[in-house]
Amino acid sequence: MKSALHNMNPAAKFIVVTICMLTMAFFFNPWTPLLMWIGVLLIQLLFSRIDWKLWILFMIPFLIMAFGYFWTTLVFAEDKSGPVVLSIWSINITEVQLNHALSLSFRVLAFSGLSLLFALTTNPVSFILSLMQQMKLSPKIAYSILVGYQFLPVLKDEFVQIQQAHRLRGAMQDKNAIRRLLHMRKILLPMLAGAVRKAERAAFAMEARGFTGEQRTSFYKVIRVGRLDGYLVSLFMLLLIISCTSVLYIN
Amino acid sequence: MLKSWKLKEVVLMSLFSVVFGIVYLLFLHVGNIWAGFIGPIAYEWIFGIWFIVSIICMYIIRKPGAAVISETIAAAIEVLLGNAVGPRLILAGIIQGLGAEAAFAATRYRRFDIWVLMLAGVGASVFSFIYGYFLGGFTVFSTGYVLLMFGIRIASGAVIAGIGGKAVVDGLLATGSLRGYPITRAKKGEARA
Repeated sequence: MKSALHNMNPAAKFIVVTICMLTMAFFFNPWTPLLMWIGVLLIQLLFSRIDWKLWILFMIPFLIMAFGYFWTTLVFAEDKSGPVVLSIWSINITEVQLNHALSLSFRVLAFSGLSLLFALTTNPVSFILSLMQQMKLSPKIAYSILVGYQFLPVLKDEFVQIQQAHRLRGAMQDKNAIRRLLHMRKILLPMLAGAVRKAERAAFAMEARGFTGEQRTSFYKVIRVGRLDGYLVSLFMLLLIISCTSVLYIN
Repeated sequence: MLKSWKLKEVVLMSLFSVVFGIVYLLFLHVGNIWAGFIGPIAYEWIFGIWFIVSIICMYIIRKPGAAVISETIAAAIEVLLGNAVGPRLILAGIIQGLGAEAAFAATRYRRFDIWVLMLAGVGASVFSFIYGYFLGGFTVFSTGYVLLMFGIRIASGAVIAGIGGKAVVDGLLATGSLRGYPITRAKKGEARA
């Protein structure tokens, strides 16, 4: 039960989460995204074992962003009709404006809730394998992404090394933020040059081991679609229907 | 489409996407915090950053699909790294990549000068703005505000992605590590690639 979301087929999870997000874009009332967010939280509480501390850490920037959306929508609203509900410093805020602002902020929260559900319960490697096995992603691209993914720690080390090399030769960190941004090029170029060489080596190694990039029928690690995926997809669809029809019964 | 691609080109694209995926993620967090204070317009200034990998890869590899596939991989890497924008980034990546790809396709993959690269940045801006308009719910903002956002995004796409992308590749070309890729061959005038 607690591991259901972790065991769900990654491609199915990806599609369902994307559908939920795209559907949210059609709704401009505060209730639909709010219900979606709460529902996603509940599903996560029941069917996953995620690190909630990490979840909160990821959520903080989005709370700030939701606030940004909130006040921007209030100030730069298009539709200023409806009765005035409150006024701050002689600015009148109408009901429509407030609803739109709340809706957009909750939408940010619902989006990040759905994304975190996906990010925290999905193994990256099985996600790519699942895209290849269930969604016909070309093996050439799929395995290349995996190669790139495996190089991440190497690239991180290289980044630190280049920085240290710069410091060793007396290139100081600039205080000026714009100059520092331009300085990024000096780190980016050696990293990219290194990436080109690594890509070449990896590609030769893959070809030397007989990788042709053709579509396959059998895989070493098989990702399956099962009954569990059916249940979870229906659960998400139910949540989507409940939150979309909320306008009809709340008021 | 991938038939004519060498494996080393695909892997190169993937590794570049990893490097820029990290850069993208960095800017996403900066943009998020900033957006809290000045609203969604905060992203528009730096939006060009998110198109840069498609222009860089197309400028180097010069094959149909280089822009859209690289941008999609970069988005996929961002998702793999784990972040709270999540799976819809992949969709955004495809759409931005298609915008850049459209500009190159319009010149039938023959011209790769600074104007076409800037046009690709503008194309990515237009496509991504339409997507953002829909998903971000920009319809509730006043027309003037939306037009301002649109203008800034186009300028950012042309300058950061177009001019910036060219600057990065030209610097990389000077290091000599791009030997064996279409850009070097085209510079020598051997082949159109």
